[in-house]
Amino acid sequence: MAYAIQVLIDALSLGSFYALAALGIGLLFGVLRLINFAHGDFITIGAYALIIPSAATQATLFIGDFAPIVLIPCIVAIVVIVALISEVTVFRPLRSASPATLMIGSFALGFILQNLIIMIYSGRPKAVGMWSDLSAGVKLMEGVEVPQLQLIIISATLIMLTSLVLFLKRTKYGIHMRAAAEDFRMARMLGVKANRVIMLAVAISGMLAAAVSMLFVVQTGILDFRMGLPLMLFAFIATVIGGMGSLVGAVVGGYTVGAVSILLQTFLPSEFRAFRDVFVFAFVIVILLLRPQGLVMSRSAKERV
Amino acid sequence: MLLDVKDIHVHYGRLAALRGISISIEEGEIACIVGPNGAGKSTTLLAISAVLKPTEGAISFNGQALAGMSPEQVAEMGISQVPEGRHIFTALSVEENLHVGAAVRKDKDKIRKDFERVLETFPILAERRKQSAGKLSGGEQQMLAIGRSLMTSPRLMTIDEPSLGLAPKIVDRVYEVLVDLQRTRGLTLLIVEQSAERALKAADTIYVLRSGEIQLRGKAAELQDGKAVHQAYFGFSQPGKVEF
Repeated sequence: MAYAIQVLIDALSLGSFYALAALGIGLLFGVLRLINFAHGDFITIGAYALIIPSAATQATLFIGDFAPIVLIPCIVAIVVIVALISEVTVFRPLRSASPATLMIGSFALGFILQNLIIMIYSGRPKAVGMWSDLSAGVKLMEGVEVPQLQLIIISATLIMLTSLVLFLKRTKYGIHMRAAAEDFRMARMLGVKANRVIMLAVAISGMLAAAVSMLFVVQTGILDFRMGLPLMLFAFIATVIGGMGSLVGAVVGGYTVGAVSILLQTFLPSEFRAFRDVFVFAFVIVILLLRPQGLVMSRSAKERV
Repeated sequence: MLLDVKDIHVHYGRLAALRGISISIEEGEIACIVGPNGAGKSTTLLAISAVLKPTEGAISFNGQALAGMSPEQVAEMGISQVPEGRHIFTALSVEENLHVGAAVRKDKDKIRKDFERVLETFPILAERRKQSAGKLSGGEQQMLAIGRSLMTSPRLMTIDEPSLGLAPKIVDRVYEVLVDLQRTRGLTLLIVEQSAERALKAADTIYVLRSGEIQLRGKAAELQDGKAVHQAYFGFSQPGKVEF
């Protein structure tokens, strides 16, 4: 029992990372039909923004040393600004291009961001110890002790998901965004301002990336210019098995991929554990064979068929 | 003159969809564009809504040129389109669909009044306001699309094939509503219709469009025998009784 709860919390906290990253990707896909492969690099930028820009091997915390109440808005602002600049300089000029062109544009953007990081911070991974006291264990019940950080990750994710749902369902701009995600041209013909909706989606996507940056750095304690890539890859897979274009699907997909990874990690014989991802991807292929439309069918996707 | 379309050309790639058409609509009238499939009717409405850009010619609304405007700016000026196939947001509730219609407006009190009025005009929408719009029947979706367009507080409503895929009885009801909107609110309507018979019944002015050109323009009252319309519609005349 105690062991099961431990595994469950592991699965939920890893799933939270994937769900948050998948939502960031899913939001942009909704309004722009863009699969933003630079999303992982937005996450990386948020992480590097915590330290003083320098090529030194030893990382010195800068924003990362501020109190959380200042630190969090700073990192969010930096990632959102980078995302908005990307939208204006890369995605907007490609607005009428095909989705494939847009996707390649996002790859190019990703490479540029990675190389900027290498230029400023050097390509060597760096260790950072931020909020290290959060890794202290919390005793949940007899025999169950989990790091405080995992509980923070899970609850922060729940708070963000709830706020996003409230925004999309209850506010005027949220409703416009959902309308635009389903039928952009119709929304524009009703007066919904296209660029405003897109900027808003990009900004929210940036916020979600920033949240992942901070939580991920605290958990791993390592900065690497490629750190966003595996997150992006798993999050992208999560949006695919969840159902492209469905935000609920992105979250469901994120938690599914997280759970499957942790279960394999726990129950695979130790000699196979190194190849865990092979089994995760095999699972993804099986899901796509059984449900090619994804776990949650998006209504807009249904119509386009 | 409320809407003045002057000699516009629209191309899809190298294919010419409209080759110099002109339309002028007076405030408060119902104008109908009729014509066979592929004549360029929908293209005309999309050009008026600035979704398609004419390669030549000019469109002005209320004396103001629409050149270079985005679809949302045109909507803000008071032209609202109910497009072919209705394009309801199926992931949104009925109520939310109507609220998207008020996207351009800031006059909160007036929005609320218009909202109540739309629900009064279409009681079925009031009944289903919390339901997902995707669950509505075709006729109800058409009502919702018209209601949503009314929420933009338009001066000119353009409607593309309101009868598409609907039972004749429901089409009658849709036209009743449209004519009523013109009579009671003075709304100006530009309706695209395949059936010349329907158009002759509802419209003040008729345009017959074929192969991207206006073949005939006239007052509906003067075209009631249908012969001239038939000739323009099909490109040949038919002796005797005319049926569409």
